[in-house]
Amino acid sequence: MATDRLGDRHQAAGPILEVTDLRVTYDAGATPVQALRGVTLCVGTGDAVGVVGESGSGKTTLALSTLRLLPGEAAISGSVRLGGQELVGAPAEVVRRHRGRTAAYVLQAPGRGFNPVRTIGSQIAEPMRLHLDVSKPDARDRTARLARLVELDPDLLESYAHELSGGERQRAMLAMALACDPPLLILDEPTSGLDSTTKAAIAETLGRLRQEQGLALLVISHDFSLMADLTDDLAVLYGGVVVEQGPTRTVLTDPRHPYSRDLLGAYPSMTTQKDLRGIRGSAPDPADPPTGCPYHPRCTQAIDECATWAPELSPVAGRRIACLRGGVLTRLAAKNLTKSYRTGLRRTVDALRGVSLEVREGEVVGIVGETGSGKSTLVRLLVGVDEADAGTVEWEGRTLATFEKAEWADFRRRVAIVFQDPFEAVSPLLSVAEVVREPLDVQHIGSGSDRAQQVAAALAGVGLPPTDAFRSRRAHDLSGGQLQRVAIARALVLGPRLLLADEPTSMLDASEQAKLLVMLKDEQLARGMAMIVVSHDLALVRKVADRLVVLHAGEVVETGPGAEVIAAPSHPVTRALVKAAATLGTR
Amino acid sequence: MSRPRRLRRATRTLTILGGVTLAVFGVLALFGSALAPFDAGERAGRPFLEPSRDHLLGTDDIGHDILSELIGGARVSLLIGLAAAAIAVVGGGLLGAVAGYRRGAVDAVLMRTVDYALVVPTIPLLIVLASYLERGMRSQILVVAVLLWAEPARIVRSQVLSLRERTHVLAARTFGAGAPYLIRRHVVPAVAPLLIAQFVRVVSVAILFEVALSFVGLGDPVRRSWGSMIQFATDRGAFLTGAWKWWIVPPGLCVAAVVCSFAFVGLGLEERFDRRLARGAQG
Repeated sequence: MATDRLGDRHQAAGPILEVTDLRVTYDAGATPVQALRGVTLCVGTGDAVGVVGESGSGKTTLALSTLRLLPGEAAISGSVRLGGQELVGAPAEVVRRHRGRTAAYVLQAPGRGFNPVRTIGSQIAEPMRLHLDVSKPDARDRTARLARLVELDPDLLESYAHELSGGERQRAMLAMALACDPPLLILDEPTSGLDSTTKAAIAETLGRLRQEQGLALLVISHDFSLMADLTDDLAVLYGGVVVEQGPTRTVLTDPRHPYSRDLLGAYPSMTTQKDLRGIRGSAPDPADPPTGCPYHPRCTQAIDECATWAPELSPVAGRRIACLRGGVLTRLAAKNLTKSYRTGLRRTVDALRGVSLEVREGEVVGIVGETGSGKSTLVRLLVGVDEADAGTVEWEGRTLATFEKAEWADFRRRVAIVFQDPFEAVSPLLSVAEVVREPLDVQHIGSGSDRAQQVAAALAGVGLPPTDAFRSRRAHDLSGGQLQRVAIARALVLGPRLLLADEPTSMLDASEQAKLLVMLKDEQLARGMAMIVVSHDLALVRKVADRLVVLHAGEVVETGPGAEVIAAPSHPVTRALVKAAATLGTR
Repeated sequence: MSRPRRLRRATRTLTILGGVTLAVFGVLALFGSALAPFDAGERAGRPFLEPSRDHLLGTDDIGHDILSELIGGARVSLLIGLAAAAIAVVGGGLLGAVAGYRRGAVDAVLMRTVDYALVVPTIPLLIVLASYLERGMRSQILVVAVLLWAEPARIVRSQVLSLRERTHVLAARTFGAGAPYLIRRHVVPAVAPLLIAQFVRVVSVAILFEVALSFVGLGDPVRRSWGSMIQFATDRGAFLTGAWKWWIVPPGLCVAAVVCSFAFVGLGLEERFDRRLARGAQG
């Protein structure tokens, strides 16, 4: 037995914690609040399972109910089996016996769990005196060992809570939880309120404890990086329901439920260089939860059925998600596109040589490449105005080449493009209103007054004055920035699900470029549409793109999350692009 | 800046002059029978009368009033010119549009035909064609149109070709616009000003051609145009008697005035459309 091992552990067969269809309703006010609406979760021996969610998702209720620590007004149903013992409906003594011994709860706010007038050491010793029949000197001995185990200076055991730093208090808290050598620790926001270095040190200690002691962890947090450090499995909780559950790495690197994806987008990490973005809308009111899928009011790919059918967890790409649409949709997929042009009698130029790429709902893909890398050809193929020599373009799983007339019309409504030069892309003969109305005219949408209204809304949406005087102006009376906004309004007026922007700001000055990009990003976020930004300017694209695709001589030479591609470019072309990207003299 | 501005002002003056002249001839062509002192086909006096109070431009060999003939000729000359130009521009424009839109083999065949039409010497072709067709206004219109369709075809083709590749047309295609919409909304409005300018230019050439055609004796024998007036006068020895002063010079001046006026108006239109297009292109 390892010297640090804290005594025997009753090894229960099967999982330590098994939560099945757990429902918790607080019946406090006028309307009952449904905090959990059928959660199933399992923690095996030595497992580390994370539960992540926004505040109000029910994650603390879940943590508390595993030890039946819920307040009296909570009505609980379903099953919680801790160490083989059913806790729901069990007598209070039975429940109390398991607290601290089968599972110990580490409180959310470090410090508030301590009595201010007793020393830390005596408080750590308290549970073992309570549960285990140990003598006072034995207990002191054990407390010192526990302190070493959680890397707390044993001298501090004689101090009072207010004399300790936040990190030290959290370690003392851990020691207290470990006092009775439970096989499972339930950690509720174990690192909230700590600075990032202390956070990392605590996480490291927890990781080591888990390895050395064979501890199982149930980590409740909103902190993704903690989950990445500590857990093997992750459940994403929303509106009292698990929406995505699977291996932590899989879920974090490639989230497939729209909510997990959006939540990750709101999380500050070093993996993307984009700005943070909150999730549109607000969390559901637990007193009046939405019908069907809890996320449907905020989801950009929701269909009518989402409001009526509550999806069940089902396996998708190595994890389970609860989404009627099978998770985040792949909007556009290009597979092995090849295209060559004849430039002379016997000469051809290969513009594209087997290019594949994918754009999902709400994702921004940056296509970067020098002039002549095949960017423009790719754009033309992706929007279906040219045909590839070989390979296919698929829209939501259907190949463009097999489209019927109605499918084409639908595709044309859903995919829009913004071109590089607005003076080229907007007819000089049409007025602003006519330009923006054109897609509505072509698609025969609405009556004349409907169209006028939509045009006004679209113009206001891109920050242009919706006055009659402005609307009757023509291309040559506008500045480049204004005209590009008109072109964007035209692209957005049909409510596309994918927007291709081909060097959308290369004709504009820096300030105008920034304003336009911010506006594009806001629109993209508000509509949750997918976007492809094509540019030669890496410094610019990285500000908007989730994923980068580097194109060179008609081939994809590198692809990956923006920051990774830029921090560690693997292909010489990418390295050259990174090197050539604009910096301000501090190379 | 002052030079181009002076030039522009000169163009403007010419355009207005041309417009006024054309308006006058237009009134003559429309209401000529009411304005003319005599009916053009009526024997109004003795033959070969010199200008007098009764016959301001004298009479011809049969005794027709020359002034009345001149007024009647305005209608015939203008009608032939306008009709031939309309056929040439619309027909040529359509062929050019088809060539530009379809590209490939269709384009190649049409454009080689255009090249051929442009290099064949016009007057001999005019004579050869006219001699195979029966004499009359309809043949004249047809012959002149056949001679003049090539240039509009070429202009429209190049416009359509470049429009096809223009980004705003591509943009319209990306939100689902088909060929009928594109032609109605983007091609016609872009090509129309060019075609109008072209039309005005072609009218003047057509009127000249009609004169040439009539002068070599291939005009309509019944309806006197200015061209056939000159031809008849020459045949009746007007140059030998001094009658050319009132019998040949007036229709010649009329032709010159109309042709110049059309050219001036065409110039003005072209300038105006050019400025509009250039402004649109450069922003």
